[in-house]
Amino acid sequence: MDIILQLTFAGIGVGSIYALVALGLVLIYRATNVVNFAQGDFPMMGAFILVVCLLSAGLPYWLSILLSLAGMVVFGAAFNLGVYYPLRNRSYLPVLISTLGASILVQNIILAFYGPQPANLPALLPFRGFQIGSVFLDPQYIVIIGVSALLVVLQYLFFEKTLLGKKLQATSQDKEMAGLLGIPVKRMIMLTFVYSALLGGIAGILVAPIIYFSITMGNAIALKAFAATIIGGFGDIRGAIIGGIGLGLIETFGAAYISVPYKDGFAFVVLFAFLMLLPQGIFGEKIAEKA
Amino acid sequence: MPLLELRNVRVSYGRVEALSGISLMVEEGEIVALLGANGAGKSTTLRTISGMMAPTSGEVVFAGQRISGLGPEKIVRLGLSHVAEGRRIFPGLTVRDNIMLGASNRRATRRELNADVEEMFALFPDIRPFADTLCWKLSGGQLQMAAVARGLTARPKLLLLDEPSLGLAPLIIQKVFEVIREIQRRGTTVLLVEQNANMALSVADRGYVLETGLLKLSGKASDLAASDEIRAAYLGGRAA
Ligand SMILES: Nc1ncnc2c1ncn2[C@@H]1O[C@H](COP(=O)(O)OP(=O)(O)O)[C@@H](O)[C@H]1O
Ligand SMILES: [Mg+2]
Repeated sequence: MDIILQLTFAGIGVGSIYALVALGLVLIYRATNVVNFAQGDFPMMGAFILVVCLLSAGLPYWLSILLSLAGMVVFGAAFNLGVYYPLRNRSYLPVLISTLGASILVQNIILAFYGPQPANLPALLPFRGFQIGSVFLDPQYIVIIGVSALLVVLQYLFFEKTLLGKKLQATSQDKEMAGLLGIPVKRMIMLTFVYSALLGGIAGILVAPIIYFSITMGNAIALKAFAATIIGGFGDIRGAIIGGIGLGLIETFGAAYISVPYKDGFAFVVLFAFLMLLPQGIFGEKIAEKA
Repeated sequence: MPLLELRNVRVSYGRVEALSGISLMVEEGEIVALLGANGAGKSTTLRTISGMMAPTSGEVVFAGQRISGLGPEKIVRLGLSHVAEGRRIFPGLTVRDNIMLGASNRRATRRELNADVEEMFALFPDIRPFADTLCWKLSGGQLQMAAVARGLTARPKLLLLDEPSLGLAPLIIQKVFEVIREIQRRGTTVLLVEQNANMALSVADRGYVLETGLLKLSGKASDLAASDEIRAAYLGGRAA
């Protein structure tokens, strides 16, 4: 029983990371109809800035996090202007290829200037964790789950309760009509990229202490996030969250009870099963909403 | 000075010319009907006025200012609101939110926005019960009312309406046209595109008739309603 609780806790922790990245993926997809193949570089970038500030420059943790967040705002804006904006009136394919190219470019720039070595980041909270009954709680996982939950709540309030949130929703549902009403569409899309980059960056900051930083760390995360959006129902916000957490749980339990080396494979077995049996995903019937 | 003037406007989709030199004007306070068969270029005319398309030559002048080429976001801020073909209501937002977003062309506080939405529900009591319903659940008539309400929330000097009667039951069409009269009474000028010529001419002051990208006729609504050419164009074998 305790081991089940323990695994559930870890699974939700890992799944929260997938969910944050998946959320960013879905928001960009809804705003631009493009699947961003560089989504995994958002967490990598967030973690990389943290590594540089914390380890190379020796800044305090809180300041490093602030700088990383600021860096992600700039990165998201630059990504919008450099990768999406020039191709915004083309079909999805050139944009998709552009995001793929951006991913390769970003990873290789860091490789050239920083080098290939992975980095081990200290945990955010200094204490070692605690025991509840016989369940051991790692503080980093507590932080991950807490921050992710908070972000999901804030995002919900922002999109559902504020006028700006509704303008963003309107833009993602019908850009041309949004412009016709006077909603500044370019600014809305810019905001979407910045927010999506921030979400990814936060995921990277949170996860780096438990998986090591490396230039390619985002690739696996992006694949899982993508799988999460398919499982949840592509383009659906709730689906991204449920799919991400579900995938984290499946992976963690699979590793514990079936096989550790095949841990990354479970995500794709589940993805494959969904594509065969329930291609519209868990929340897929809401496709009607997009008609 | 007319509120809106089109001077010899030409518009193309790629290499296909949809408008081949249109000149028309709308005076302040009027309801002007723009009639024509399917494919004549009515929607293209409205899209050109609201800035969704740029003319290849000619110009659009609104309230004394040349607006062709400004783009839709700027034009709607000048007080020109376009209720587009197909209603284009945001399906994943509520009726209330859709109407509220109509005010995106101007600065307004939350309180002013709520008052504006209330005013629209007073004008369209039929959609008030659905205020907090997501729009993909609405019927065609309800969507049309929400679309007109959203267009009016921009507080336009000129409202462009693209086939507000399309696909609606006769009783609902009556209601929509009553509202169009009421809009005029409140001081808003209306340019109304319709295939339903009889209905449109019954509310309009003047009318224009488009045929494949060119204006064929224009005149007082009552004269057009009585003209044989209109009857020929609308009741003769042209596809509706
Ligand atoms: N998006 C488009 N691409 C190419 N041609 C178009 C497009 N929209 C309309 N057209 C053409 O332009 C002409 C005028 O269309 P439109 O303005 O929609 O007519 P109406 O509103 O009077 O039915 C038609 O011949 C139509 O086929
Ligand atoms: Mg039309």
